Amino acid sequence: MFCAVSTMTDGDYDYLIKLLALGDSGVGKTTFLYRYTDNKFNPKFITTVGIDFREKRVVYTATNSNGTTGKTFKVHLQLWDTAGQERFRSLTTAFFRDAMGFLLMFDLTSQQSFLNVRNWMSQLQANAYCENPDIVLVGNKADLADQREVQEKQAKELADKYGIPYFETSAATGSEVDKAVITLLDLVMKRMEQCVDKPAQEAPNGEGTSKLEAAPPNEKKCAC
Amino acid sequence: MDLSVLEVLEREKVLEVLQRDKILRSLEEERIRKMKLELQEIRRKGAKSFSRQYSERTCARCQRPLGKFWNCGAVCHGCSHRICNKCRINVTAQEWKCTVCHAYREVKIKSGEWFLEERAKKFSADADRHETTGEKLLKSYQRLSTISIVPPTPPPFTEGPSSGRSGGLHSSRPFTKSMENLFVSLTTHIKKISKSQDDVTADPGLLTADYGGIPSKERRSQSDTAINRPFSMTKAPSLPDLFKRAKSDNEEVQRMAEFCTDEDISPGADYHQEKRGSISSVCTELGIFDHNSSVTGEIELALVYNSTASCLEITVNGCKNLAYGDEKRKKCHPYVKIYLLPDKSPHRKLKTTVKKNTTDPVFNETLRYNIELPLLASRTLQASVWHSATLRKKVFLGEVLIPLHEWKFKDNSTQSPTWYLLCPKPGITEGYPGEQYNGTLLIKAKFTPPSQLSTVANPQREEVCMGQLSILVTGVTNLTVSKYSGTLNSFVKGCLSLPGGRELTQRTLPQRRKSNSQWNHQLVFSEVPEANLPGCCLDLELWDHASFSLAHRSLGGAKLEGASSWQQLLQTPNTWYDFTLPMQASASMKKT
Ligand SMILES: Nc1nc2c(ncn2[C@@H]2O[C@H](COP(=O)(O)OP(=O)(O)O)[C@@H](O)[C@H]2O)c(=O)[nH]1
Ligand SMILES: [Mg+2]
Ligand SMILES: [Zn+2]
Ligand SMILES: [Zn+2]
Repeated sequence: MFCAVSTMTDGDYDYLIKLLALGDSGVGKTTFLYRYTDNKFNPKFITTVGIDFREKRVVYTATNSNGTTGKTFKVHLQLWDTAGQERFRSLTTAFFRDAMGFLLMFDLTSQQSFLNVRNWMSQLQANAYCENPDIVLVGNKADLADQREVQEKQAKELADKYGIPYFETSAATGSEVDKAVITLLDLVMKRMEQCVDKPAQEAPNGEGTSKLEAAPPNEKKCAC
Repeated sequence: MDLSVLEVLEREKVLEVLQRDKILRSLEEERIRKMKLELQEIRRKGAKSFSRQYSERTCARCQRPLGKFWNCGAVCHGCSHRICNKCRINVTAQEWKCTVCHAYREVKIKSGEWFLEERAKKFSADADRHETTGEKLLKSYQRLSTISIVPPTPPPFTEGPSSGRSGGLHSSRPFTKSMENLFVSLTTHIKKISKSQDDVTADPGLLTADYGGIPSKERRSQSDTAINRPFSMTKAPSLPDLFKRAKSDNEEVQRMAEFCTDEDISPGADYHQEKRGSISSVCTELGIFDHNSSVTGEIELALVYNSTASCLEITVNGCKNLAYGDEKRKKCHPYVKIYLLPDKSPHRKLKTTVKKNTTDPVFNETLRYNIELPLLASRTLQASVWHSATLRKKVFLGEVLIPLHEWKFKDNSTQSPTWYLLCPKPGITEGYPGEQYNGTLLIKAKFTPPSQLSTVANPQREEVCMGQLSILVTGVTNLTVSKYSGTLNSFVKGCLSLPGGRELTQRTLPQRRKSNSQWNHQLVFSEVPEANLPGCCLDLELWDHASFSLAHRSLGGAKLEGASSWQQLLQTPNTWYDFTLPMQASASMKKT
């Protein structure tokens, strides 16, 4: 569905999509994004100061409603990286409002980072552009199997509770990294379409699913 | 957001990130700008607009006639216009949109407008919904750093000799821009001591491959590379200077509303023809008047005649998608000015207030023009949008001309607010550099309906009533063509575009006359369907015939269009009607 494009310095793209990674300090946000944009791993731990971002261009192929592939678009991704530390909190959360989708990360080798996911969720709810933004839950450092503290089942349950996708990734090996980002991008792309098409079909009672049956049966009939 | 929690070096790291973000943002703004221009083009081509009034029975997009029983079109849910089969684009399997509505939808998605709209639902209190946190933060840095960081001795700020004219106000380089310069110099300086955000060193080979671009567009794909310098480092003003100017910047905008009268001296084919060309060139030289390279956007107006107060009430609701008055700095302080042409006397001018920093200003102002109702018929409402750049400098952003002779002031439907496309001034369209085309083409027109022609000739074609349109070009006034003695060997080309795309072209023989004497160029278009005449557009172009195999010179063109003009001809057939058509550089004219 996606593939990377090399040149990035021009305005030749169809969408600018801004995603943001959040989660406790040390869970691997910076390393994860570096893996995604550059496909490299850096074992050193350098604390992110406040905020940072990386960029990548990908080609997005839309899927039609019947499942066939449709048009392709160039997407310029701006991937915001945030510092997890408390002292940067006011700064980083301020950036939440400009992002269209979120990678909520925790460290599979740290139970505490998993417990904090709930707090990050409420931060998102308060600061993101809407009440229910597109989020992907990411359990990182899957390669450190022997140090694992969070079980897949546990994390999956939490993700289901929020109704968001869950991925176990490793920035060290690159496993599932692309998939997590792509899934989020796909959600955002779908959201855009929904947002612009919604006003025309929004039922006043808010019952979105019944609107198809409610459509006038004689739609095709000529009015003249 | 409390930046004081950051230490100085941390602050610099964040500032670097914000600078990179700013570069991406300007790239993005440029992209959106282009996209909106393209949308504007699509709209222009297929829009219900003044100049192209269309009847109920034509497709609102392509103006092709629609049948009564077959190919009768359907109403677009987006714009409620009747649309033919060809001008529909499927959005989903069940739903379609007309070409214009579809283009709107695309732009809304691709420009990120959807996001801003969604967010506005949640954070409705936000003053500037476009401003990102990065942008805001960058501004607050500029405030903060004046206290905590001493700049590395900026070069003295020198004012050019020309700027002395209007004192300090004139030199209003936007505050933020100058500060940016300062900061770039700052960060490059600090760069030497501090390392970048993270320590991941990028593959140098990869970097060079990524950086093919022009310096101003050059951007790093890595978050860890050195900051680049998109802005020049010269002219960094001293800090106290900056504060002074930032303050006056605001006051200035406020005051502009009251003081600006200079923009009335505007170039182009206008309703006043006296020496306009020379005045305009002087003005442009002085920098008083600037016309924008591109005109975009729309204006929403409502016209109501208040018979108790005997005045025309013009409600200016707002504009959208305006061009930046200051393209470079992405600034726009728009206001709207209204005349009822031909009266351009300054005391009859109406103006809205100036809105700051927006290309989608909301005015909601009602302007009142005292005039007796019968007099309105001879007037044309001119609503022009201007960017208030400085006290004396105004930038033209577009205008709309609404002829009032056919306006039904009693009719409720004409009183509701309507969006009008903004147009460039006819006289200053690009394409003919160095020459000013103005003047007025004097023509007569008459329509001879089929009954006056030999009716028996074609009995089998009685369902289409073909008439004959005669045009007589009798002269031109106020033609200012540079380097011209006054004698013209003129001829006229005419192109009549019928709804549905059919075009009839005619050309007269050259006549050697003084340019101010009477001409007699007659064009006859036969086979003009009577029913289609109101939707026709007649392009006339006046040429100077070259004697010695040189290329003919175009002296400008004029248009006759609009249902109301043609209606007169239909109502009293076989009668000559006089029209005076403002001339313009006829770039739109097809070569025949
Ligand atoms: N083994 C392993 N180490 C990782 C992984 N992701 C990150 N790390 C390491 O975890 C540390 C913290 O990573 P970092 O990206 O700086 O965390 P951040 O604070 O969330 O940005 C670094 O030393 C990384 O090398 C991973 O998937 N596997
Ligand atoms: Mg980090
Ligand atoms: Zn059509
Ligand atoms: Zn439509």
